[in-house]
Amino acid sequence: MMRKATLRQAKLLLLGSALLCFAVLPAGAQSDASSSVQKQEGSIPSQPPQKSQTEQLPSAPAPAQSSGEPSLSDLGFTAQQTSPDLKLQAVLEKRTEMLRIHQKLGLITAAPMMAALITGPMAKAKGKNGQPITEPSQANLDFHAALGGTTAALYFTTAYFAIRAPRIPGTHKHGGIRFHEALAFIHGPGMILTPILGIMAYNQESSGEKVHGIASAHGPVAVVTAAAYGASIVAVSWPIHWKFWEKQ
Amino acid sequence: MRFQSLLMIALVASPAFAQKDVQWTLAQSTLSYHMSHPMHEVDGTSHAARGKGTCHAGLCDILIAVPVKSFDSGDTNRDLHMLETTRGAQFPMVVVRAHFPQSQTTESTIYADLEVQFAGQAAHYQHVPFQRADQGHQVHISGEIPATCSDFKIDRPSFLTVPIKNEIPIKVDMIWQTN
Repeated sequence: MMRKATLRQAKLLLLGSALLCFAVLPAGAQSDASSSVQKQEGSIPSQPPQKSQTEQLPSAPAPAQSSGEPSLSDLGFTAQQTSPDLKLQAVLEKRTEMLRIHQKLGLITAAPMMAALITGPMAKAKGKNGQPITEPSQANLDFHAALGGTTAALYFTTAYFAIRAPRIPGTHKHGGIRFHEALAFIHGPGMILTPILGIMAYNQESSGEKVHGIASAHGPVAVVTAAAYGASIVAVSWPIHWKFWEKQ
Repeated sequence: MRFQSLLMIALVASPAFAQKDVQWTLAQSTLSYHMSHPMHEVDGTSHAARGKGTCHAGLCDILIAVPVKSFDSGDTNRDLHMLETTRGAQFPMVVVRAHFPQSQTTESTIYADLEVQFAGQAAHYQHVPFQRADQGHQVHISGEIPATCSDFKIDRPSFLTVPIKNEIPIKVDMIWQTN
């Protein structure tokens, strides 16, 4: 009886030791066991990716969560790459704000520009030189001139916001923005020339003459300017997904 | 006697069941975000990510970081706007921490729990599937992180007054090698 009790106690002791051994086994062996159970149940694969929460961080990169995990400093990034640059952020914000105004005004400018192009032929004198000009009416001329003047005023305001927007050092421009800027060398001079030629044409028509000389280039210059301006809008919007009504 | 023998075997064999510690280094990577607008479909790609990982005690901890400004969408103006919108100068790095059981390192799909630090916010994604394929001594990992602008409190940029879609999924294509 006594022997049986001793044997039971020894067995219990051994079982306790065995459990203790299992407890101090590398956690990996245990978690592998538990994860394999989950896999068998199919609970993990069937679950879609889940979001849990979002939290705000300080500007500085976060350190490693525990001593065993790799940290950001282990990756070999320089301090310059990882440290916050609040001055640059402020410059970027100012730049974006100015370019946002540039974009809005640019699109608004397109409306009177198109209207000026449409009303252009209506402001063109008809008839032969030396004969009294009955067309266009003064109202047509004035309306076209007003549209041209509005276009020019809006255009140069739009250009101001692009020119004065801060430059970001170390940026090599590529993509649609290069075409957008290159086209400014066409529509920029065009927007200076068009009103000058327009005024010359207006004066000639107002004095009863048919438009002649360099003033007769007013129309073609305006068309080229508007085409370059339109291309400039397209260039900065490229690539355009035309069938925007189709679901992605 | 039989019980004692079994116990001895268990004690001797127990270290053999423990998985080896492994260290991983990111050899090559392509990370790209996708931005969607009714008139635009844009992908910004970076190859500048660096990463390290350790598998210890049955759990793998992976750290990947990439500078925000290294993403190239093919247009400088757009990239600078992205940098401003995502507060990329103030928070210059995208940091991803992934955790998954070491046992999954031999399977074709790894389900990882992710913490993504971006734009001054940290978002957590759980059970994100990544495809794993052996390539000689290297491992090819690919997948997609289902990120959204709202996860990181990013004001969605708009074009012609229409904002971009909230979803900005990040495609991940990486080659890892053991040290």
